[in-house]
Amino acid sequence: MVSRVSRLPFWFLATGLVSFAAFQLWSLADLASWLAAFAEDPRMPSGWSRAHLLVLGWATMIAMGAVYQLVPVVLQNRNLFSERLGYVQYAVFTAGFAGLAAGFLAADAILIGGFAVLAFAGILLFAFNIGATLIRANAWTNVTAGCAAAVFHLVLAGAAGMLMGLNFAFEWWGTFHDRLLGAHLWLGAAGWFGFLIMSFSFKLFPMFHLSHGHPEALQRWVAGFLAAGVWTGVPSFLFNAPAWCHWIALTCAASAFVLYAVHLSQIVRFRHKQTPGAGIRWSRHLAIGQASVAALLVPLSAVFPDIVLSTRMAVVIGWLYLWGWVGGTILAYLSKIIPFLWWTSKYGSRAGREKVPTMAELIDDRKVNALLTAIFAGLFVLAAGFGWNSPLLQSLGGGLLAAVSLLYAGYVGAVFAK
Amino acid sequence: MKAPKGKPPETGHRRRPEGAGREISMVDKDTVLELLKQVYDPELGVNVVDLGLIYELDVEGGRVRIRMTLTTPGCPLHEAIVGGVRRVLERHPGIEDVDVRVVWEPRWTPERLTPAGREALGFF
Repeated sequence: MVSRVSRLPFWFLATGLVSFAAFQLWSLADLASWLAAFAEDPRMPSGWSRAHLLVLGWATMIAMGAVYQLVPVVLQNRNLFSERLGYVQYAVFTAGFAGLAAGFLAADAILIGGFAVLAFAGILLFAFNIGATLIRANAWTNVTAGCAAAVFHLVLAGAAGMLMGLNFAFEWWGTFHDRLLGAHLWLGAAGWFGFLIMSFSFKLFPMFHLSHGHPEALQRWVAGFLAAGVWTGVPSFLFNAPAWCHWIALTCAASAFVLYAVHLSQIVRFRHKQTPGAGIRWSRHLAIGQASVAALLVPLSAVFPDIVLSTRMAVVIGWLYLWGWVGGTILAYLSKIIPFLWWTSKYGSRAGREKVPTMAELIDDRKVNALLTAIFAGLFVLAAGFGWNSPLLQSLGGGLLAAVSLLYAGYVGAVFAK
Repeated sequence: MKAPKGKPPETGHRRRPEGAGREISMVDKDTVLELLKQVYDPELGVNVVDLGLIYELDVEGGRVRIRMTLTTPGCPLHEAIVGGVRRVLERHPGIEDVDVRVVWEPRWTPERLTPAGREALGFF
């Protein structure tokens, strides 16, 4: 049984917030003008560097911290397999992603290859620690199985990334590099983040709504369609399959997103709490938006495949998915996860002994809602800028997104001082 | 309160509070319930009594025995809430021994909320 609050998740969440702030400051430093170059050709050194700072340094770092925090809880207060290994993993992964981002920025092939191996080693240590914890507990539910699936896909995404990093250094794979890139993106974006967000939501979404008695049958359909989407997409990329194979992968993934949004609505119908909090409400808005975009892409890509596969559209879709749904959901959940972690750490042992604050007194829900609204307004303007190829809109939207994101990170991080 | 049927208790805490053995005033169930109302689920903002988490409460002299649950198994606030229940009772000079056990059967349902708990949650 867990007898004390682990400080391990703090390191991941704090580092994730620092990476997030660094990304936004970097954007503001050039008035988000890098976005115009990114819209023309996303495959540029600065673009790769920023993408890995955001996706590994922030999103994956926060996701790992959330896994370290929530897996012992979901397993009803069992200890991690090894907390010490968690700290080692933190150090290895942090050095790996930071070096990788620096290597991309410097366009130094040896740095990229070396730190890609280090980042992958950090992922392997994480997977071993969480895998051993789950296997030892042997308590398989839709939540724990989904978490295991997410970590499995993270390992594969990391392996593909490491192979690409080594290719930068040694040029082993030739044109296979681009196929690996497709599989890397699909495994990471749909597999790792998709499984993790959805399976954790199966636990957290009802908890914050105080929902009871809601049907859970759709959870397996969501996981099944997502797995089908990922595992149709990965070989399609690796073997350069015809377009219809990619379309089937997209259709399966879109079905998972639509069913996930429907399932969240089922949970809301069975709620017994009036207000779950702004972050949780936003996570549902984002799921519905994501499902709508994915559902729209299915017929659109069947009729106009060239438009959907164009660089401009890929940039729009990539930003809406990674920044909109993945990043937005992480930001939204952070407004709950950080107060939970901090309250448990600082006030948990004082409860019953003295008057302690409630979660609502640690963070103002109205401010969370206002900041998240501004963030997604900025994202909408930026996506419109990408779509219309307007550098002005890109800079305005990107600037607003970066500035408000910084405020949000600061506001949520300030909980640690309460 | 009636004892629920189901699996045996899953977790237990037994403590000998400070000051045990000194001359003490007796406590009754109402006093214990009032003490328990000081322990809140910090996310929901409702105390454990009005949430209907207390399944069984026995008071014998200075000994208090509680069987309780949480709104969901795998609750992130498990240790804080259960520890809070134990600590708030241990502070009372009339309580010598506290036994808190968490059970998952029968599962908590929203029907266990008191009218005050429902009002606090905006229950519908």
